[in-house]
Amino acid sequence: MTSLIIVSVLAVAVLYLGLFKYKTALLPVSVTGLLAAAAMAAMDWDLEKMYFSEMMLFDNYAVAFSILLILTTLLIFGLSRNYFEKISNNVAEYYALMLFALAGGVVMVSFHNLAMLFIGIEILSISLYVLAGIRRKDPASNEASLKYFLMGAFATGFLLFGTALIYGATGSFNLAAIASSGAFESALFRAGVLLMMVGLSFKVSVAPFHTWTPDVYEGSPGLIAMFMATVVKTAGFAAFLRLFLMAFAEASAFWAITVAILCILTLFAGNITAVFQDRFKRLLAWSSVSHAGYLLLAILAVGFSASSAVLVYTIAYSLASVAAFGIMILVSRARGNDHLDSFNGLARTNPFLAFTLTLAVCSLAGIPLTAGFFGKFYVFKVALAQGYTWLVVLAVINAMIGIYYYFKVIIAMYMKENANAVAIQLNPGFRLVLSIVVFLIFLFGIFPGLIANIL
Amino acid sequence: MSWISTIIFLPVVFLVIILLLPSRFREWYRYITLGTAILQAGIACIIYLRFDQAGSDGFQFLEKVPWIHLSLGNLGRLEIDYFLGVDGLSAPLLILSAVVMVAAAISSWEIKENMKGYFALFLLMDAAIMGVFCALDFFLFYVFYELMLLPLYFLIGMWGGPRREYAALKFFLYTLFGSVFMLLVIVGLYFSVTDPVSGAYTFNMLHMMDAANFVPGAVFSPEVVQTILGVPARLLGFAVIFIAFAIKVPVVPLHTWLPDAHVEAPTPISIILAGLLLKIGGYGILRICFGIFPDSALYFSWFIGMLGVISILYGALNALAMKDLKKLIAYSSVSHMGFVLLGFASFTTEGTSGALLQMVSHGILSTMLFFLVGVLYNRVHDRFIPNFRGLASHMPHYTAFVMVAFFASLGLPGFSAFIAEAFTLIGTFNSQSVNGLLPRWMAIAGSLGILLSAAYFLWTLQRMFFGTTRFRGGEAWSKQLIDLRPHEWAVLLPMALLTLMLGIFPSLFFDLSNSALANMVQELFETGKRHLDSLQYTNNLRF
Amino acid sequence: MEDTLQTIQSIPLEHYIWFSTALFIVGVIGVLTRRNAIIILMSVELMLNAVNLLLAAFSVHHGDPSGQVFVFFIMAVAAAEVAVGLAIIVMIYRNTGSVDIDIMNKLKW
Repeated sequence: MTSLIIVSVLAVAVLYLGLFKYKTALLPVSVTGLLAAAAMAAMDWDLEKMYFSEMMLFDNYAVAFSILLILTTLLIFGLSRNYFEKISNNVAEYYALMLFALAGGVVMVSFHNLAMLFIGIEILSISLYVLAGIRRKDPASNEASLKYFLMGAFATGFLLFGTALIYGATGSFNLAAIASSGAFESALFRAGVLLMMVGLSFKVSVAPFHTWTPDVYEGSPGLIAMFMATVVKTAGFAAFLRLFLMAFAEASAFWAITVAILCILTLFAGNITAVFQDRFKRLLAWSSVSHAGYLLLAILAVGFSASSAVLVYTIAYSLASVAAFGIMILVSRARGNDHLDSFNGLARTNPFLAFTLTLAVCSLAGIPLTAGFFGKFYVFKVALAQGYTWLVVLAVINAMIGIYYYFKVIIAMYMKENANAVAIQLNPGFRLVLSIVVFLIFLFGIFPGLIANIL
Repeated sequence: MSWISTIIFLPVVFLVIILLLPSRFREWYRYITLGTAILQAGIACIIYLRFDQAGSDGFQFLEKVPWIHLSLGNLGRLEIDYFLGVDGLSAPLLILSAVVMVAAAISSWEIKENMKGYFALFLLMDAAIMGVFCALDFFLFYVFYELMLLPLYFLIGMWGGPRREYAALKFFLYTLFGSVFMLLVIVGLYFSVTDPVSGAYTFNMLHMMDAANFVPGAVFSPEVVQTILGVPARLLGFAVIFIAFAIKVPVVPLHTWLPDAHVEAPTPISIILAGLLLKIGGYGILRICFGIFPDSALYFSWFIGMLGVISILYGALNALAMKDLKKLIAYSSVSHMGFVLLGFASFTTEGTSGALLQMVSHGILSTMLFFLVGVLYNRVHDRFIPNFRGLASHMPHYTAFVMVAFFASLGLPGFSAFIAEAFTLIGTFNSQSVNGLLPRWMAIAGSLGILLSAAYFLWTLQRMFFGTTRFRGGEAWSKQLIDLRPHEWAVLLPMALLTLMLGIFPSLFFDLSNSALANMVQELFETGKRHLDSLQYTNNLRF
Repeated sequence: MEDTLQTIQSIPLEHYIWFSTALFIVGVIGVLTRRNAIIILMSVELMLNAVNLLLAAFSVHHGDPSGQVFVFFIMAVAAAEVAVGLAIIVMIYRNTGSVDIDIMNKLKW
């Protein structure tokens, strides 16, 4: 809880720093604050504290995901030096909005009442609507913002209608009370579960509710897209799983089949479309859709190992995405666009960047000894243990397709030449963050027990 | 740290050293790599000498360290061990790998650009290949198996010929296609097998090979038929893993990546590809497919033997038609590896021993052959057979080694391939009377393959090396085509001696593996037969 | 006063559910078919109001005030959301002179 307060206060403080023009202090203050928040969250480990008449529950699940969200944000902040300055003069609002969104994310992973789920999602989303459109003069950014807003608001409607129906069926918003209400057979309850699923699917870009994703990612500034792909997605899935695990687990026989269908749709929609992309940012956007499919697979395996699998997968995915988006930002800034051809010859001019990106896409593709491999392996394993053999076979086929398009960028970097490419300059923040990411991808790839044993 | 871990991780240590060395020491990289390979060969010698040949049916040099241990709540515990060891089946292949690596390291002298990357990847692949032959934990095996792919992808894709991107991706996707589905079977096996001591689910391959450890009613349980979409699960599991390794071997019709990869790959990579990677396919089939699913192996034996025959004949016929010398050798590899499959399918000690010797022998011979092609290609950047005539008088030493390699490959008595192919065919021939698995005509068809290989090798010899000297490049080529250099001697001579030695004293090899294979074949056949009888699959695949 | 209350209480719960559902569906159809961003925003508001009505009805039915508290949450958050949404629409109007979402076609897969 303390960590949530720190994040919220930090956001306000950052706004004031901007007001009084302490631009240089923004980054140090945010980073310190986030470190403090992460430390305070870690102090809550094993305490299982309830807050606000059972509205929020800081159990280990909440703590682990909170720390993940905070640390991912830290990594993104590490890349942000001199980034926002190029877009606008009011840098403070970027930091403040991202911190507000983070606060929303923390609420989303620690709710114990549907009201808090709604509020968390809204805090996160409203900040993001603004962030997506923050390049005010850029039509693409405008479009991204409007699309994200309309889709988001639309999805909120479904989520709320579902909430209302579940309230009607069970008489409570409290997750524990819902789980023990025994109203799982009623039509109201079932309709409610489905509608909430639709609403959440919009938020985490699960097909067929994913159509906004590539447009919004492409139109938003690179760093914001990175934030959406990592923090927002992690928070969304953590909330999704928390809701279905703590409230609807008993009714799993009923919703599992729907989740399975969504999972297949998402996997195929994401991967097949990604094959035809020739711009790296859109490719990453579609691949993020496909990763939502793998995560759904973990949700199907309701139970103890599902949360662990989702945690491992999101850690691996967030790390790899930070690296991939970060390098995409560098390349598109230096070479003018994020077309795959822009990556030609990167191995010659910037071996470190090429290596990092290779590692990142290998992790996304699930090649052994990277964190992503164990993530996929773990997810497949829990799904197989529940008997979803065919689903896993389809997921494996999709992993193959994934490898094909992820390798397109590797081919561009290592096997194609670009005669007039010059080396891209890295600032220290980038160098530090990318090195940390490389280290962690390897560490968690070789010793996955470090993260898989947390929960 | 025991010998096996050392042989695996030595390259990794030197890989780090190469990465840390600044680029101005780039001349050192190749010496470091060569030094690593020679050290590994030394360790391989130690392993050979210390290997208890009488007890080769058991695993030796065992190492077991817990690696990934997780609690999965209601699903029990996930336990993955770093578990290594060699027996009579893997020891010869491990030693072969060390030898081939030295040859590949020497032939890497031709690499001139981006040497840091090349040698780093080379050493990484080296480590992974050694690991594949020693891993006894299925998960660990898979990690090494996949780890070997990525460096190879880059080595072909970055240092290869003009169509390298296509060849590299094709190779990569083919192999991966097999292996990702293998992963599913691995997980299925994991849920089917428990550790007899602790009772936990396990990836331990030794436990998987013992039918007593299967959980009754689990997916791959041999006691009761479980079906997946109407197909018995064990047959399906076997087929999936078999396809994964058959792509590697390669078995016709899954072989099409091989000619492309060979043509585009630089010489050292061709050597490793033909000398070692194909062996991993054969090793996997015997150790994993046959070891874990003996009943399915028996069930499919006719089919596997048939694939072997098809590979032998199809590969040989294709080789006959090739104009590119490297492609010719690539197809001859397909043909020779067909014998391996045939030998395994026969379920006889002779056949299996012959097949294993064939793998070792082909490892040595294909190293020589690809190295010889590389010698020619490095000099004039051409390797089309019609472009050369009468090389014999122009490069006598070179021609001598070509003749050794060709004659050894076509199965001339006195060389290793003769013993190997003879044993394989004997095994196949006996199969009908011993266990009734393979019909006799398969042995006859196999010997037809030897005849065809004699045809294409001798024809090539005649076209390229005999007659009056005439090159397409004219005078310029005559100047460039100088005879063997010292480092080329250093590769070719030991290889030629090795194949001769194995041909004259095959016991050098058979002592290492015989008791292991004899026991293994016997045991596999019996357990397989028992399960097959108790399961009563509808036997519609044996015609 | 007593009469009205009694009349209201005599309306069965199903009627509220069906009415809210109808209202919600009208909102959904509005979002899906209209092309003017502001009308879409209004349709979304309609969806939210359907939810509010439903929550209030359930709250009375269960005799539990938390449903009505939730309505306040929704109203407050929806106001914030609309503020941001209108700001976005104004921004787009300034750049393009239109609030028609059909001109939003720069980004395509």
